[in-house]
Amino acid sequence: MKPFRSARGGDVVARMERAEVGIVSLLLDQLEQLLDADADDVGGDPVMARLLPDGHRGDPELAADYRDLTEASLRSGKADDLATVRASLPAEGGEVRLDADQAAAWLRTSNDLRLALGTRLEISEETEPPDEITGEEDQQLAVYYWLTALQGSLVDALVAGRSGRS
Amino acid sequence: MAGPLAPSWTPETTVEERDDLDRPWVTIVWNDPVNLMTYVTFVLQELFGYDEPTATTLMLQVHHEGRAVVSSGPREKMEHDTSRLHAYGLWASYQRDT
Repeated sequence: MKPFRSARGGDVVARMERAEVGIVSLLLDQLEQLLDADADDVGGDPVMARLLPDGHRGDPELAADYRDLTEASLRSGKADDLATVRASLPAEGGEVRLDADQAAAWLRTSNDLRLALGTRLEISEETEPPDEITGEEDQQLAVYYWLTALQGSLVDALVAGRSGRS
Repeated sequence: MAGPLAPSWTPETTVEERDDLDRPWVTIVWNDPVNLMTYVTFVLQELFGYDEPTATTLMLQVHHEGRAVVSSGPREKMEHDTSRLHAYGLWASYQRDT
C-alpha cells in the first residue's frame, strides 16, 4: 500500500496491492452481510450495537424513538457508502483516486470496518499490533492495524487538502 | 391577548415540561478505543464547523475525561446531531443537560 495523499484538484490518491484490495473486498462483503442480516439473527450482537448504537442512554423509550427516527436512514447511508467504496476499488490493484464525496464514504466505511473488527477483537487502548503472526487472531489484528494506517492517511490527506484550499 | 383570535384556554405546563424548557438538551461524544484522535477532530470540524483548536480541545476532553458535550439545543436538533455523529461511527448520545 502507498498511503493516501492529497492530490491536485482536491482529490486524494493511494495505491493498493491486489491482495489488499482482496482483503478490503472481503471485509466489505462481511459488513454488508451483517447489515443485511435479519434483526432476529444479529439482535444483541456487540458489533451491531456499536455500528447502530442507542441514541439515548438510560431511557429505553427515548432510545426506541431515536431508533424509529434514524435507523433506516443510517442503514441506507451505510449501504450507499459501501457501494461507493466497492466501486472505487481497482480489482487488480493500483491507484485509488477519490473526490470529496467518495473520500467521505471511504472515511465512514473504513471506520465501520475498524469498529466491527475492533469490537470483535475486543480492542482496548492498551492493545498493540502483533509482533508476529502466529494465529488467526494475530492476522485479524494485523488487518485492523493496516486499516488504521489506511484510514489515518486518508484523514491526514483530507486535512492537508483542506488547508491547501483555504 | 384578547380579541376573536385569542385562545379560549391556556395549555397547562406540567412541571416536567417546564423543566424541559429550562434545561436544554445536549449531544455527548463518548470515548472509545477504536476511533482515531485525528478522525474525531476531523469529524467534529466537518459536522459542526468548529475551528481546528476548538475541535482538538473537544477531542482531547473526550479522550481524557471520557466524554464531551459537542452541541446543545432543542431535543430534535440533538437527535439529528447524534445521528450525524453515528453516521461517522462516533460514539454519541443525547440527553437533557444536567
